[in-house]
Amino acid sequence: MSIKSDFMHEVANTPRGEGILLCIQCGRCSSSCPVARLTAEHNPRRLMEMIILGLRSDVVKGRLPWYCLSCFTCLDRCPQGGDVGEAMFAIRNLAVREGNVPRGVILQARSLIRTGRVINPTRSSLIVREKLGLVKEQSTGIADVKRILEKTGLDRIIGYRRTVKE
Amino acid sequence: MKYAFYVGCLIPAREISYEVSVRKVLPELGVELIDMQGTNCCAPFSIQSLDYMSWIALAARNLCIAEEMGLDILTLCNDCYESLLMVNKILKEDSDLRDRVNAILSEVDKEFKGKIEVKHLVDVLYRDVGVDRVKDSVREPFVGLKVATQPGCHLSKPKRIHFGLRRGVEELDELVRATGSDVVDYDRKEMCCGGPLRGINDELARQVARLKLMHIKASGADCIVTVCPFCFLEMDLGQLEIKRRFKEDYNLPVLHFIELLRLAMGMKLGDLEIKSHRVPLNNILRDRL
Repeated sequence: MSIKSDFMHEVANTPRGEGILLCIQCGRCSSSCPVARLTAEHNPRRLMEMIILGLRSDVVKGRLPWYCLSCFTCLDRCPQGGDVGEAMFAIRNLAVREGNVPRGVILQARSLIRTGRVINPTRSSLIVREKLGLVKEQSTGIADVKRILEKTGLDRIIGYRRTVKE
Repeated sequence: MKYAFYVGCLIPAREISYEVSVRKVLPELGVELIDMQGTNCCAPFSIQSLDYMSWIALAARNLCIAEEMGLDILTLCNDCYESLLMVNKILKEDSDLRDRVNAILSEVDKEFKGKIEVKHLVDVLYRDVGVDRVKDSVREPFVGLKVATQPGCHLSKPKRIHFGLRRGVEELDELVRATGSDVVDYDRKEMCCGGPLRGINDELARQVARLKLMHIKASGADCIVTVCPFCFLEMDLGQLEIKRRFKEDYNLPVLHFIELLRLAMGMKLGDLEIKSHRVPLNNILRDRL
């Protein structure tokens, strides 16, 4: 088990991660979390503790970042106005850069890069739309999306590690 | 009342009845919908999980389109709503980030100026149209229909970014009562539907939905009414998946609020729209076919 003592500040300096500095380990996040109710594997307070203690690889390389529903119940209940639910996005952004991304998320990103949308209409849904007299298919500004994502480097972020976790 | 209409990607692809109902009902309530042209994905939580700047820039591009139209945005999806609402707020407040995002957006001839607001359907119906006007539009009220509402998380959480709505829950309940229906209370009403874990951890997503359905069933509700396409999917399709996985049959029809209102206004749902519901709507429609 390796310890990286500046991990808490790495998370705090990642966008949306600053709330970690306010955590007092009270556990109210865990008691409000619907996922923690269903599985002992997920425990937001413990995850925050692991960050504070510097257990970097245990956090960013494992399954822990991918249990959160982003329901933001913890965010409303945190007595510190700290942002566990928000920090989860900082943790995920770091995990992704270690190649730790669920397949379903990669597929959505690929669809976004290719079409400008994460979900696209099927051929049959287009037929139904036409039957109901709805706009057939709206443009997605795909040329702009491609240009923006080239600038932010999304394809590199999801692509440079080939391994996709199931 | 005129809005830049942002329909999103899930609704026009999979929940066409929601879109049709909005396009039929809102004009009756004095709301004019102007379709936004060339919008991209809102950048939902899955994309936010990957990269912060990609999220901000993609959402900002949509906001710019509405700014060019000079109209506030109307969204139908809790995920689109939260993404656009958050980015609008962040960029209005953080001028350094706004400069960095505008540097990216200048590549596509866009500039975020921070001139519009982002509104959810519930927001527009409750505050702009008003419950009284909704009530006045009802011709064939539902009498004795017991409704469990599923407002969804991102209509009102986190509280600090939702300046307007009290809890989302209360507003939706009032709108449902305006159709003549009764709103039943149930435990864990404000709990997530499980949707954000679909495709990431399906087993857990099902278990969250199942917990929700158990409490709704126990409340004696006849049906579920929601205002989020992800909640709709989890509650409707989710019941079939749960039946297969856990051998439990909840048999709770699921409606988008606007479909309930459309029926209460005396309009009919089309055949294709009725069939887009996986749990049959029989006990809701009875004499409304």
